[in-house]
Amino acid sequence: MDNFEKYIRENAAKFDKHKADKEKMWANIAGELKTEAPKVIPIWRSPMLRVAATLLILLGIASFVAVQVFGATNDESQYASKELLDIDMHYKNLVSYQVQLVKDNPNLTEEDKAEFLSFMDELDAEYEELRLEMQKNLDNEQVLEAIVSNYKQRIELIEKLLKQINDSKIQDEDYGYTL
Amino acid sequence: METNIRFTHQALVEKCKTGHSSSQYQLYSLYVDAMYNIGMRMLGNKEDAEDIVQESFVSAFKNLGGFNYESTFGAWLKRIVINKSINYLKVKRVPVVPMEDHEFHLHEEPPEQTEAVDIKKVKIGIEKLPTGYKQILNLYLIEGYDHNEIGEVLGISTSTSKSQYHRAKKKLLEIINEL
Repeated sequence: MDNFEKYIRENAAKFDKHKADKEKMWANIAGELKTEAPKVIPIWRSPMLRVAATLLILLGIASFVAVQVFGATNDESQYASKELLDIDMHYKNLVSYQVQLVKDNPNLTEEDKAEFLSFMDELDAEYEELRLEMQKNLDNEQVLEAIVSNYKQRIELIEKLLKQINDSKIQDEDYGYTL
Repeated sequence: METNIRFTHQALVEKCKTGHSSSQYQLYSLYVDAMYNIGMRMLGNKEDAEDIVQESFVSAFKNLGGFNYESTFGAWLKRIVINKSINYLKVKRVPVVPMEDHEFHLHEEPPEQTEAVDIKKVKIGIEKLPTGYKQILNLYLIEGYDHNEIGEVLGISTSTSKSQYHRAKKKLLEIINEL
């Protein structure tokens, strides 16, 4: 590098002569960001963990739909939507905890992963059907129950998988989730 | 202490990963002018620079989960702005490297003993450079990229980057000497 290059690189900051129209640009950026659904931090690396992370999003969507269904102004429905939120939070925590356990466990074979994913795909398809049914029959409690049952099956699936791996690493102080 | 530089604004970045909008605004405020100046240098006009910088921030915030401090946040963001600028120029069919034979100089030229010059003259000189010379010169001299990085950004080989940069610099010095 010659003197000229060194001199320019050392004085590169002097080439920043423009001032951005900060507020106008931020308004556009914020508008774009608002249209996006909240994202889970992709600390999940393996395909299985990605599926597990997807579960959290599905739970979020379902709880939103459920809250919309029970979103009327009377006290009873407010109570019902709160209860749904509590159930949702309970499942969310359960899945998160299990995801954390899976994350801490590297002893997982490709076969186990493939099997796990195929079950998850089936449950995804079932969930999709239920979601469509929900749109047609917003007040159908049976559909809601089926959705909750769908989540339960997912959780059971993760639990079975975890049992296959290694129970010894489960420690109380690991309880928690990263979001 | 060099390794710690990568973690500049780490707390703020981590808050932004959770979608915290006031943290996003804080981080944006810290970098918007620098990024806007890069956009202006690469694209040459206010409207395009604003569009690209806005797009870059939206993209950065949406993909922040993938940022894991392998570089500083600023360097990561800068790369997004530069890549988007180059893509934009390619779509608009603006040459990003000179049209002459790319592999003309396969060996590095001996450093030219140039005296330190007036920054103002350099700015004017860069403005007057033919299309295709500006980008490579900006990337090397002002953005501080090496020829490997320039090769990646522009989709050319390292030796082409070196030869084209030397041509661009020679042209710049000619223009400056005529001022």
